[in-house]
Amino acid sequence: MARNTFRLRLYCPEIASRIVPGQFFMIRPARGSDPLLGRPFALFDTYDDDQGQPAGFDFGYVTIGKLTGLMPSWKIGDEVSVWGPLGNGFPMVPKGTKHLMCVAGGIGQTPFLAVARELLTSRRYGSPTRDVTTSSTKVSLCYGARSADYLAGLDQFAINGLDVRLATDDGSRGHHGFVTELLKQSLASDCPPDLIYCCGPEPMMHAVQKIATAANVSCWLSLETPMACGIGICFSCVAKIQQDDGEWDYRRTCLEGPVFPATKVVF
Amino acid sequence: MNPLEVTLNRLRLPNPILVASGTFGYAREMQSFAEFAQLGAIIPKTVTPLPRIGNSPPRTAETSAGLLNSIGLDNDGIEAFLEKHLSYLLGLGTPIIVNIAGHNIAEFGQMAKRLNSFKKIAAVELNISCPNVSGGVDFATDPKLTSQVVAEVRAVCDLPVIAKLTPNVTRVVDIAAAAAEAGADAVTLVNTFQGMAVDWKQRKPILGNVLGGLSGPAIKPLALRIVHQVAQAVKVPIIGVGGIQSIDDVMEFLVTGATAVQIGTANFYNPTLASRLVGQLTDVVKSQGCQRVTELIGSLQLPNRSGCQK
Repeated sequence: MARNTFRLRLYCPEIASRIVPGQFFMIRPARGSDPLLGRPFALFDTYDDDQGQPAGFDFGYVTIGKLTGLMPSWKIGDEVSVWGPLGNGFPMVPKGTKHLMCVAGGIGQTPFLAVARELLTSRRYGSPTRDVTTSSTKVSLCYGARSADYLAGLDQFAINGLDVRLATDDGSRGHHGFVTELLKQSLASDCPPDLIYCCGPEPMMHAVQKIATAANVSCWLSLETPMACGIGICFSCVAKIQQDDGEWDYRRTCLEGPVFPATKVVF
Repeated sequence: MNPLEVTLNRLRLPNPILVASGTFGYAREMQSFAEFAQLGAIIPKTVTPLPRIGNSPPRTAETSAGLLNSIGLDNDGIEAFLEKHLSYLLGLGTPIIVNIAGHNIAEFGQMAKRLNSFKKIAAVELNISCPNVSGGVDFATDPKLTSQVVAEVRAVCDLPVIAKLTPNVTRVVDIAAAAAEAGADAVTLVNTFQGMAVDWKQRKPILGNVLGGLSGPAIKPLALRIVHQVAQAVKVPIIGVGGIQSIDDVMEFLVTGATAVQIGTANFYNPTLASRLVGQLTDVVKSQGCQRVTELIGSLQLPNRSGCQK
């Protein structure tokens, strides 16, 4: 997809027919003890078989660790262990929403392809009865990366009606600077976002949280925390989440997230 | 006759495949993965007298074939456990072993007393060996303290008592003997091995709590060694735990002398494993020509070491 960034396609109708944008799954080699644990990845997109039924799904990854370092050597037909779909996806876009802005940093862009395709095309995810009514919502993506060669999936994001704005740290493509500056520009425009979805590195999400709060715009963050199981039994993926009593508590990102209202996340 | 039934003093279980505390949540989380009715027992996450927020993340780090964790007994306390989880657990029909941890002997006693009114609980497992809790006393590093905790719980609670011991001592045999002497129905061998992971480029420990407990396949030979040592020296039923991820691993622990085993870290990366192992165990018992699994327990044949080689 881009520098050190790859896309992997898994055949798995069971997950493909149920997973929705913003949800994730866990994956590990089918055999062996090293790497040991599964790793969480977000849905990039599903694909259908000849009959139009969901057959499998794609995800994007950057080769930074023990498992992702092995993945480029996986061959067509290899068997892997996968469990999911896990976690809660992005909330349904409320009726009357004028402008949904997806803010992505690095590989954090992957959940937004399915979000955009569901809202702007006839593509559907999860249950056939899932209610998607958003015909009048403008959808845009602000996507930041280190440099132009790390920008991944731009061909996929070329969707009719999706306003894509890019930013790079070194100015090699798009805005020279942070993606949050693009968000600020959009908030100051005559069609400002009234809903923000965000996924990326923690400092970026923290900045987006502050900007959204200051602008009083509804905002959801998709957190990435180190996970050992993805299913709520290990208690390692906790994040500080504000509770009803106003105090924070460590809550499991895999079960209660990974998507949280920005107002509840304590950085 | 159930060929897989095992007895650990006062504790009778339908089969020897248990799931370890802290690796199975409160079971609810596992309902789409595990067949609860298959399991020999479920041991939910450690319960403490008061809620504990747990340690700062990162709480886990993967190592070669292993997992370092420092969760810090993140739980809502015993009252919330009784209210929110116990009736669900007891309704599953699978034996439930409640794992408890206190800061001192009195706290263990108070919790055991509270649990004593729930006669459907199969047993109480004493977590006297969590390596990740600062401020608490690691009872199982000291035979005398181990003996006192077990005796206190026995005095106030009629439920079978299991002592879960730490491997982070010179001689686990002494601690196991003390637990048995004080009336423990069984000992669980072993809790995690204290370890550490470092990100040298950042000059930082990886875990928020600096030190953690090592589990997973990496520790299986160490856990087996301790099961062997205790089985040879102390007359107490043993529940073996440490890196089990296949039926062969289960059999290694059983023939070495464990009457039952716990599946721990493997639940994280193979959440359907534990219930499947029970069926596989039935097959192994048959294929070994045995009527009952107990015929295989402790069947290890040691080399004759009477001759001293030059």
